[in-house]
Amino acid sequence: MILVCGGLADSVTELVCARLQDRGFPYRLLDLASYPARYSVAWRWTDAGPAGTIAGPGWVLDIDAITGVYVRFLGPEGRFPPEGDPEAAEALQFEADAGLMALLEDLPCPVVNRIGGGMSNNSKPYQALLLRRAGFEVPATLVTSDPAAARAFQAEHGDVIYKSASGIRSIVRRLGPAQLARLPFLRNGPAQFQAFVPGHNVRVHTVGDVVFATRIETDAVDYRYAHLDGLGVVMTPVTLPVAVETACLRAARELDLLFAGIDLKQTPEGEYVCFEINPCPGFIYYERHTGQPISAALADLLNGTAPAA
Amino acid sequence: MHVLLGHSGDPCCTGVLARLSARGLPARIVASPLAPPARLTWRLDGGGLTSRLLLDDEPVVVTGVLVRGTAWVDPAGWAPEDHAYMQAEMLAVTLAWLAGLACPVVNRPSAARWYRGRDSLISWRPLLRRCGLPVPDQLITNDPARARAFGDRLAADGVDGVVYAPLTGDAGYLVGTDAAWRGLANVQERSPVCLSEPHGAARPACIVGGEIVWDDGPPPEARALEPRLRLLAATSGLDFLEVATAPFRGSLGVVLVEPMPVLEHFAPRSRARILDALTALLAPAAAAEPEAVA
Repeated sequence: MILVCGGLADSVTELVCARLQDRGFPYRLLDLASYPARYSVAWRWTDAGPAGTIAGPGWVLDIDAITGVYVRFLGPEGRFPPEGDPEAAEALQFEADAGLMALLEDLPCPVVNRIGGGMSNNSKPYQALLLRRAGFEVPATLVTSDPAAARAFQAEHGDVIYKSASGIRSIVRRLGPAQLARLPFLRNGPAQFQAFVPGHNVRVHTVGDVVFATRIETDAVDYRYAHLDGLGVVMTPVTLPVAVETACLRAARELDLLFAGIDLKQTPEGEYVCFEINPCPGFIYYERHTGQPISAALADLLNGTAPAA
Repeated sequence: MHVLLGHSGDPCCTGVLARLSARGLPARIVASPLAPPARLTWRLDGGGLTSRLLLDDEPVVVTGVLVRGTAWVDPAGWAPEDHAYMQAEMLAVTLAWLAGLACPVVNRPSAARWYRGRDSLISWRPLLRRCGLPVPDQLITNDPARARAFGDRLAADGVDGVVYAPLTGDAGYLVGTDAAWRGLANVQERSPVCLSEPHGAARPACIVGGEIVWDDGPPPEARALEPRLRLLAATSGLDFLEVATAPFRGSLGVVLVEPMPVLEHFAPRSRARILDALTALLAPAAAAEPEAVA
């Protein structure tokens, strides 16, 4: 039995459930929007590991019977509004989530994805080190709180972009005269700069040992926000060179990610440069544009009918 | 220079600083590599990884780092959302800097360790199990009947009550009376609770490199755990780790794992041994020339 932990109102979780249903794979949904209120849980740990049950509306699932887990945690916006004191409600929700995380980390079956592997996404420069170790080229990157170092990097590379170093989402922008004038503020805290890499974006989804690559063509610096600049996006499935595919699978495996979204760029010279790896990819955008069967592969992985990486 | 990344009031930092200074080795406690008087530049490109730390505008060659923590950004002058953003940026960059240093880094963090901070005992269970270290039984439940059944099973083994300790907090409460069970059931209406089997008196131990420092010497039965405790430190990637062992139901096991050891948990003689071992980890007596930051 597959366990899906997520919000039914979340389109990605909804697609995963729909695909499992479609393929006839039995699953139970632990709807995090109403967890723990609508569920009864009892998980006992001995030196042999966890055992126990999760009971939802009309069902009871023995955790020994779980063969695969898909989890996509929700922010407060995805939950039902708390009752009573908001601060206490938030603390209790954290406590409930911490218990669920402890269980998921200790289940012997495939878990998409375990929490630990995804933590590298909170530090892009740290992740760049891991990606380079996995065999990828990464863009020339400077992180600094020193304005002079930032100016020198820009003088060296000419075309430079800046973006957050942490996991907080930011729009990638070019470093222009307006930003250069603000560099003295770096003394208050660091920023991340990268040499601009020309070429087409390629988004790769690894699902166990299966690889889906999608080329994205746009004139926008950050294709996710192309619409803000009035620009279009064209997506096409592509096949990657074997070495790049191997690096994608190695990176996902080393980060303990059974399912990952990897951002690459193919330069005009045909080389591939890796920007980051996302442990909880919202793959629906790519699947809808290209028809690539990412959710079907994920369903197979969860059902044990596809090899895990 | 040895960088002791942490708070100037942390006895681990001050103790190691004093020992390094006594050996004539330059060292400094730095709250953050990114806040005055420090500045940091970290660069990754085709030529490899380089980092440059400046203290008081002077570049320093980092020969070793003890990681005890990193300062939080002073919220004064920041809008709340900007403060949260900048805090996240500081943590992200500091992690990358520590990960890339070629010199010895005591408790070099992985992203998982860096961002998860202090984990509850239950989160350490998979690793403790792999290392063959026993742990008292635990239960997470929001079902009052299952909680009582857990207590009843322990009572049948002669153990009175259960310990309720939130996973996200530090406190622990013994639940044994009817009133306490009713109070627990009230909490369970809102969230599952984590209950643990009570244990006997805990004995702290500190693993520093290959050395295990027991407070007041090792209890005889704990000797058998030592290879497994060393394995725990090695498997977790931590050179400096505190554990506490305690008896429960005729067994001796681990009841606490603390990746940020608290020196105050130990008697003065043990503290001195811990600090000596830490200093030796950072600056082995037979150390070669200082290593360049790469």
